Amino acid sequence: MKKILALALAAAMSLSLAACGGNNNGGNSAASNPPAASNPSNSSTDPGKEENKPAIRVGAIYITSQNDVAGYTFQHHNGITTAMRNLGLDPADLIVVDNVPDNDDTAVANAIDTVVNQGADIVFGISFGYINAMNDKAEDYSDVIFSHGTGYMANDTNFNNYFGRIYQARYLTGIAAGMKSLELGNNSIGYVAAYNTDYAETCSGINAFALGVQSANPDAVVHVNVINAWGDEALERQAAQALINTYNCCVISQHCDSAQPQLVAAENNVFGCGYNSDMTEQAPTAHLTAAIWHWDVYYQTAIQAAIDCNGDASKFVENMSGNAYYAGLAEGFVDASPLNESIAAPNTKAVMDAVRDLMISGQWDVFSGQKLSYVIKEDGAVEVHTEPADLVDNQGNVIVAAGGPSVDDGVIKGSMNYNVAGVQEG
Amino acid sequence: MEQQYAIEMRGICKSFGSVAANKDINLTVKPGEILALLGENGSGKTTLMNMLSGIYKPDSGMILVDGREVAINSPEDAKKLGIGMVHQHFKLVDVFSAADNIWLGDDKSGPVLKKDRFQVIGDMAKRFGFDIDPRKKVYNMAVSEKQTLEIVKVLYYGAQIIILDEPTAVLTVQETAKLFDVLRRMKESGHAIIIITHKLNEVLEISDRVAILRKGEYITTVDTATTDEQQLTEYMVGRKVKLNIDRPVVEKTRPLLEIRDLTIKNDEGALAIDKVNFYIRGGEILGVAGIAGCGQKELCEAIAGLRPIESGMMIHKGDNIVGLSPKAILEKGISMSFIPEDRLGMGLAPSMSITDNMLLKKYDQAKGPFVDRKTGREEAKQVVQDLEIVTPSTETPVRRLSGGNVQKVLLGREIKAGPNVIVTAYPVRGLDINSSYAIYDILNRQKKDGVGILFVGEDLDVMMDLCDKIMVLCHGRVMGVVHAHKTSKEELGLMMTGALDLTNKYEDKPAGIAKDSRIEEVEE
Amino acid sequence: MKSQQPLFHVIKREDSRPAQQLLAYVAAVVLALAVGAVLLAVQGVEPLTFYRQMITMGIPGSRYPWRAVENFIKLFVPLLIVSLALSLAFKMRFWNIGGEGQFIMGAFWAGVAGMLLGESLPQPVMVLAMALCGALGGGVYGVFVAALKVKWGTNETLLTLMLNYVALYFLQYFAETKAGWNFFLDPQSARPKFAKFPDNAQMITIPIGPFNLNLSLIVALVLCALIFGYLNYTKRGYEIAVVGDSPNTARYAGMKVGKIVIRTIFLSAALIGMAGALHVSSAGVMSASPTNDVGWTGIVVAWLAKLNTLGILLASVLITVLQFGCQTASSSYPSIDANFANLLQGVILFLVLAADFFTRFKLVLRSRKEAAR
Repeated sequence: MKKILALALAAAMSLSLAACGGNNNGGNSAASNPPAASNPSNSSTDPGKEENKPAIRVGAIYITSQNDVAGYTFQHHNGITTAMRNLGLDPADLIVVDNVPDNDDTAVANAIDTVVNQGADIVFGISFGYINAMNDKAEDYSDVIFSHGTGYMANDTNFNNYFGRIYQARYLTGIAAGMKSLELGNNSIGYVAAYNTDYAETCSGINAFALGVQSANPDAVVHVNVINAWGDEALERQAAQALINTYNCCVISQHCDSAQPQLVAAENNVFGCGYNSDMTEQAPTAHLTAAIWHWDVYYQTAIQAAIDCNGDASKFVENMSGNAYYAGLAEGFVDASPLNESIAAPNTKAVMDAVRDLMISGQWDVFSGQKLSYVIKEDGAVEVHTEPADLVDNQGNVIVAAGGPSVDDGVIKGSMNYNVAGVQEG
Repeated sequence: MEQQYAIEMRGICKSFGSVAANKDINLTVKPGEILALLGENGSGKTTLMNMLSGIYKPDSGMILVDGREVAINSPEDAKKLGIGMVHQHFKLVDVFSAADNIWLGDDKSGPVLKKDRFQVIGDMAKRFGFDIDPRKKVYNMAVSEKQTLEIVKVLYYGAQIIILDEPTAVLTVQETAKLFDVLRRMKESGHAIIIITHKLNEVLEISDRVAILRKGEYITTVDTATTDEQQLTEYMVGRKVKLNIDRPVVEKTRPLLEIRDLTIKNDEGALAIDKVNFYIRGGEILGVAGIAGCGQKELCEAIAGLRPIESGMMIHKGDNIVGLSPKAILEKGISMSFIPEDRLGMGLAPSMSITDNMLLKKYDQAKGPFVDRKTGREEAKQVVQDLEIVTPSTETPVRRLSGGNVQKVLLGREIKAGPNVIVTAYPVRGLDINSSYAIYDILNRQKKDGVGILFVGEDLDVMMDLCDKIMVLCHGRVMGVVHAHKTSKEELGLMMTGALDLTNKYEDKPAGIAKDSRIEEVEE
Repeated sequence: MKSQQPLFHVIKREDSRPAQQLLAYVAAVVLALAVGAVLLAVQGVEPLTFYRQMITMGIPGSRYPWRAVENFIKLFVPLLIVSLALSLAFKMRFWNIGGEGQFIMGAFWAGVAGMLLGESLPQPVMVLAMALCGALGGGVYGVFVAALKVKWGTNETLLTLMLNYVALYFLQYFAETKAGWNFFLDPQSARPKFAKFPDNAQMITIPIGPFNLNLSLIVALVLCALIFGYLNYTKRGYEIAVVGDSPNTARYAGMKVGKIVIRTIFLSAALIGMAGALHVSSAGVMSASPTNDVGWTGIVVAWLAKLNTLGILLASVLITVLQFGCQTASSSYPSIDANFANLLQGVILFLVLAADFFTRFKLVLRSRKEAAR
């Protein structure tokens, strides 16, 4: 908008100044967008007056608009408002600066200052790139709590970070994909990835999904197509189509923002596993299940902990029992979305439920020296067998020896930088 | 019963903002008549005619065509009413042939370019006695051909009333005569013709009646047979004007500037000036005549150091100035002022004040990093006083001034710098008679002071009165240098078109020596 | 007969008076605020409260008011310097649309200096070095286009525009490429992220109570005065005006137009680059998109101010208040997101520019009699 205006002005300026001799001159033009029809809010609170002071003021810095109806910011905004409602806070009191780019620290710092100045007691920053500013401001404002999603920085008082074991949910979706490929007799499965081994977050997702696939169909291969962007609808679409064309993939999984890969799967009469939200609605004939977050679980915990500080922000980390929140299936922070049973392979739900229970119980985790296999009985009941096996990367290196413990630290601390056997990039 | 007028305009008013361009104008033309619309620049002639051709709408007043009141809302309407206008700036598509230019503007012809269009249009042109090749592309045409094409176009669309806006401005004497023949033929065939001009001799030659406008007001209409130049001028200017231009006799010095075998290319890389030789002495005005675009601009720019030359020498007081920077040439006392068509393009900074424009060539002489505006303001005041420049203040941007005052500022500054050679191109372009005479006076004063002046002009009558000698250029070549008081317009016209080349007569003279082809006696 | 005459003509005014112009601006702002009020009311927001917060930028009664002022200065300084620098180029009718790119290059080279030398030099020297590196980086980036224009007559608008994107992706390459040689990035982070500058490469601030006065504000204000003098009183400024007004006249007056263009554009781009340097130094860390659109907004400011130096000072203050105030005010309303704030800014700017148009031109309606026909 501003760019267009500026360009139009420059053009008008060159015209008007150049044509100083003439007596008639054309006008200048600038486009103005019609006002976007956004949902009218029922809020009538006046932030200028503090009539009945809420227990706590919550602030947030978003990467895109708070009025989004899908995508990353939407998920978090939804989580925060749900948590506030559950805690008896009015979501209209949320203080938000949105459309804050995550690659401009000045803008982020400015946004944080604004939110704090407006009275926020706890500030959530949802994008990784806010990390420097969050860290600085946590030091600056010791009376305010800072909580940073997907980051790794923290202190011992008022600053933590939060993320989750989404790989557990991905393992579950991998089971659905693997069973479908077994049913179809096609061992080729595709994965549209934002990045691969550049980030532990992305390669752990790929690996967990692949391990899930292999638990159901040991012969399956996961082909990864990297788009080098967290979200780009055109690229996502291309990548999914390329996987189907090149490898004849029968299931398309994804780690990227939009539902495009699922739509492509539907168009090609193959199947898919989504991410972030239940995409069955968008692609009912293709979408099996999605790895999803329940952000409200964290936000509710965090806001409650902040309330419990009673104004002493430095107690926040203590109240959260640590400065890095990293929950999973057990806490209900992540999950696989309800299975689309009309298209899933028979018994998939039973297997997923059994494995979910196993992970919730804490007896087993994905990146360990134990491998799962399933026996389905005549009555549909499922037996999950664990047997020791090496966790091997696709270069043949043993990561965890057979029977060894889980290495989920590699995910939390960001050191995972390999693909497990059975994953092929390209 | 009165005779039916082809066009009658009654009480026409038109203003642009607060400026009234036309005030209560009445005008009539009969079929088979040539009406000259006479007035100085800015007197509202073109505005008035643009209302006939549908470009403007009158604020009030009525227009009658063949006795019927009409509203002309667009050029389309004008066309339907049989009114055609030939504008000063031609409206032709360069890459199309003559016939296609006509064909494409015609409603009747339809979307298909029929094969017989060349035949149809060629025949039609011949009927009126025009000599055009319907297949010739416009970009290959000379100016006079383009004008002819515009007239043919208007006739082809069935115009009974034809308006020509300053048609002779771009033509040589011979071409003008040809045009007048065409106009007379059209008149005989019953067309009504309005010709806009400010050249008195042409008015007297071609028109039946003359309507005169002055500053947007209608003065009168007179029968051409009963009037003369003096009377027309008085109508036009509003008071008695001395029509003679002085040519003071001054003792001439040695050549101040001598040009030898000068060759210059234009922006397109073609030869603009081709082996030109001439000289200017102090105390004389050398006129340069020629059709527009035959190298005048390039010559002026080369002398001022603004344009690289291909070969030749330019000797100023014994020093070759070829290759010197514009600044160095300036410092030698050679002043150049070129008034282009938009008047402000070279020599002045239009958005800046008179003071700032005074400083243009000497701002750098002040000591220190700052501009010395105090001196500039004093000089501006002096020039404003000396040359009677009409301006609210010396801080007024130059573009706010009227044309005559702009040119006075330009010349005033040049003279202030005390040059010994003045190169001036079109200094009276667009000026009214009074301002023009003021400029001639300024030049003559300089001439008396021993300055050598190169005067690039348009109006042959003026040049024959003002200049001592006239050099004629044709396509960048010198056709000859003649004494202004001994030559005739016909001779100059023939030289301008290249039909007469007087240089050949003196082919035996050694190259590189300035030569006056028509000057019999050696004056030194 | 059918009427084909348009309903009105646009005619240039020759007689616009400053008072009239001011009145038109005020009317435009009032109208824009009224339009905004309707939009706000539709969103369920009380317009007066919103506007009060916008104009005060939420400073009164806030927890850390001085921090808001500091942030205001951080937004204001780059905009002021860039607008001033652009006015130099625009006065010469050199349409430098490349403010974004020059700003980025300035920020980049200042960052190089900060990261490589920050440990070894004392703070004042370091900050000066960063400003100089930024100026040089931006200046060279801009003068490249000027040189091409002088030499081959290329179109500066297109080139500067395209170089904006070159600079942006150039910087993003460094922002996103994790490698041993990439000294910009924080080695601790698994994901690529810029490391903070060493302490000595941080902008100097002068503490006044709890408020830290950013030195760059003083620099910007001094620059403002210097540029005012430069344009209006020096020979160089005179040359710029003449070249801008009529290059032919300038050449005719013996000015070396090419040299003047190159010198002025270098100056313009160097100032923009320096603004980038001051900006990253104030931020204390590199950024992959450091400009906050100042390269574009600067054009708007320069236009509003009609290239008048004092006008630029005023217009930059107003635009920054608008930007900063909109963000602050909208943060409290769930229905008002940044897009709406941008929209509101757009409406205000658009109407002010429309007012500007009507002070320069006027519409002449077709008379009723004619329209009736």
